[in-house]
Amino acid sequence: MTTTVPTGAEHISVPFHVSGPSAPWHRVREAMDRYGNAVVTTTWGEWLGAVVAEPALRPLLGRDWQRYRRTADPTVRYRFVASRLATKYTAAAALHTEPAELDLAYKIGGRPYLRGLDQIDVSLTHTDDLIAVAISRDGRIGVDVEPADRRMSYELLSGHVLTPAEQADIEGLPEAERTAAMLRVWTLKEAYTKALGQGLQLGFTEFGFDVGGSGLLAPDGRPAARGEWAFATHRVLGRYLLSVARHDAGLGSSRDMAAHTMLDEGFMGAVTELLN
Amino acid sequence: MTITAMTIDAETVHPQGTPSARTEQAALDRAARLEALLGDPYDPANPHGLRALFAADDRRVPPAETEALLAEAGLGAEFVPVAHGGRLTRADLLARALRPVFRRDVALGFGYGITSLFAAGAVWAAGTARQRQDVADLLLGGGRATILHHELAHANAILRHEFSARATEGGYRLDGRKDVIINASRADLQVVYARTDTARGPRSHSVLLLDPAQVPPGRVRHLPRVELPGMRGALFCGLQFTDALVPADALVGSEGDGVGLALQVFQVNRSVICGVVTAAAGTVLHSAVRAATDGRTGPIAKRWQKPLAGVFADLLAGDAMATVVLRALSLLPAQAHLFAAAVKYLVPDLLREDLQELATVLGARGYDHAGPEFGALDKLVRDLPVAGLGHAGSASCQAVLVPQLRALAERSWFSEDEPPSELFRTGCELPDLDYRLLGIAGGGDFMAASLVGSAARLAASRGTRGTRGALADLAEAFVTELRALREQCRRLPASGAALVDPAVIVLSDRYSGVVGAAAVLGVWESQDGADPFLADPAWAVLALSRLAERLGVPVPDLPDGVQAQVLEELVRRYREGLGYDLDALAQAP
Repeated sequence: MTTTVPTGAEHISVPFHVSGPSAPWHRVREAMDRYGNAVVTTTWGEWLGAVVAEPALRPLLGRDWQRYRRTADPTVRYRFVASRLATKYTAAAALHTEPAELDLAYKIGGRPYLRGLDQIDVSLTHTDDLIAVAISRDGRIGVDVEPADRRMSYELLSGHVLTPAEQADIEGLPEAERTAAMLRVWTLKEAYTKALGQGLQLGFTEFGFDVGGSGLLAPDGRPAARGEWAFATHRVLGRYLLSVARHDAGLGSSRDMAAHTMLDEGFMGAVTELLN
Repeated sequence: MTITAMTIDAETVHPQGTPSARTEQAALDRAARLEALLGDPYDPANPHGLRALFAADDRRVPPAETEALLAEAGLGAEFVPVAHGGRLTRADLLARALRPVFRRDVALGFGYGITSLFAAGAVWAAGTARQRQDVADLLLGGGRATILHHELAHANAILRHEFSARATEGGYRLDGRKDVIINASRADLQVVYARTDTARGPRSHSVLLLDPAQVPPGRVRHLPRVELPGMRGALFCGLQFTDALVPADALVGSEGDGVGLALQVFQVNRSVICGVVTAAAGTVLHSAVRAATDGRTGPIAKRWQKPLAGVFADLLAGDAMATVVLRALSLLPAQAHLFAAAVKYLVPDLLREDLQELATVLGARGYDHAGPEFGALDKLVRDLPVAGLGHAGSASCQAVLVPQLRALAERSWFSEDEPPSELFRTGCELPDLDYRLLGIAGGGDFMAASLVGSAARLAASRGTRGTRGALADLAEAFVTELRALREQCRRLPASGAALVDPAVIVLSDRYSGVVGAAAVLGVWESQDGADPFLADPAWAVLALSRLAERLGVPVPDLPDGVQAQVLEELVRRYREGLGYDLDALAQAP
């Protein structure tokens, strides 16, 4: 695994691979302790055993069960269930609870979240057989993966994907590097819009990145953020490009994210005392 | 600054010698005068306009000229009950009177003033006659109070750490350190929620009034200013006390009352926050409509219709929830705690998502941080988490909701009477807010009863075409959700460790969504037709369908024309300079 573009990346956990439900989940807690976020990759095949053998798949999937049942294509179906399980296992590790206890729900733009437990934000993505999950306790997070060899025609797409400042930057690169540079910017843009929960609603030419670094820029190349955003791009499994966008709302969130400690004892006690 | 603004001075906003005006109209008049006094937010030359406020934020200083203007206008009187010479009658009227400030700058609203009310609340709830009058005199004279919170579960920087007070001869000895306290360096009164019992539980804390001028030198250390990414102009600093003697008469209420007082007072604070931050979100919506209409003669581009109409519906829904809970504090003070927690749990999150939706409409313009036309998004994205306190804020509401769910399922839902219709009808007079009457647990669930009542009245329209039919179907969908919740909550343990299971905590989220919907229905039903847009079901249908989608409740397709109708009203309000809440008031200029 190689890491590119370190600017701001020191705030983002390096992705690590998990192999299904029995993965070493303590690594999620270690990453949360160190960075306030964790990025996990897995492949759906590694969850196949769990999908086939898990007697409690229905409670594990919760409201996603219906969608799972409706999906006819077996690949799509397994990938769907594996991505949801990977998300729940990752979140459960950070929250010190069991995956089946969590209700994975969706906001209006489609952004997944854990209902009732807003101490962490989640993002998930998949391409081919790779699934990636990112969680953060500091604010919104978005993750995107693309095959590193994805063919993208620079001539056809640059006007739709890149700001004038990015085009100028990339056109200064040797021709052979342009597609790769554009793909990296693409994954960063996907990650940023996913962090905002807006998918492709936000036009890709409305914001940009520093092609050499990873700061968020306005289309004319001016800085567009004050350090609250961090970005990182990694190459994973040798053949995918993974980008993460992480927002820090700046509240200095509690390091304790455990679900069972979130309800204030004093408040609970005072309310309970009066009720009984 | 506009000519109008220049001719209005503080004397006009709060005329001396007139009796305190108690009516809704009087509060709206005060808001209108304040609005005129602050002037056109978009005029780059206005010293109280958005350009000046954004610039102060960027320099990390409070906007001095505007603070002076608010001081001159005697805004502090809004936080003092009329019985003590101030203008505070009802929480819903307070929120309306403050909206002109919050519409421009949430940090100014907190930093200049509302923090004083949040701090003084404990005194209005349990202070002696002497304490009440002292605090009233302080605030009426332009003084400031701040609150030194105790540490709550999953505390963030603002709630982290707390002070302890040991009983000693003649009073208490105060110790401890807290790093992030708004206005710590300039408040004339510190309201401390101090730990007086090392044992955990509901009697662990007490409230003490601290006059910083009376603390002997060497017993208090002022810690450096802390720069948060949000509310950058507000002054957050730390305080450290070392064996500082606090006289016995500084105690508010009895020893051990702190947690209970926090629960009493927080419900007002929570509800007021929801009632004013929606006004700030309205400014961002205004900028997004500007972005979508500037330089266009035709209709708004199709891709922006859904987010713009949707966010407008959310703001109306948020205002409906806030307004109902603020009125409930007056009308149903023993029972409002439940809905106050639900609304505070819902509204900041709703607004946070709305800002992200508006970010797509604003696109690159959203990065024009300094300009008054489009800079409001960036600022509110940073300020809103500080106002809502993020996860720790939500969790403190869930701590109120979760232990009550089982009793509600067993005794309240589907069996209680509806609340009086005055709860929803604007223009109706209500009793004054009396903090002493605010309950902190029990008392049933008037909003669940209201939902069931609204759905029953709409039942005849279920399954019919058109917006009324859609509204009836949505109302029934929320009732179905309440029924499902009842089945789950009945099986909960009455208390104990099992209540903190995530699967139980999740129920408080679903519950909040259901009673939030009840406020939208109640406000829609209470319309007398004076505002044809609010009287039509379209806005309520759009707002409820979005609430239902968030809850994962199946949503029927929107009837034709609903979105267009809401959008048309949005554009009308934009062009006519009206606000984006239930009042649709004219805004400066």
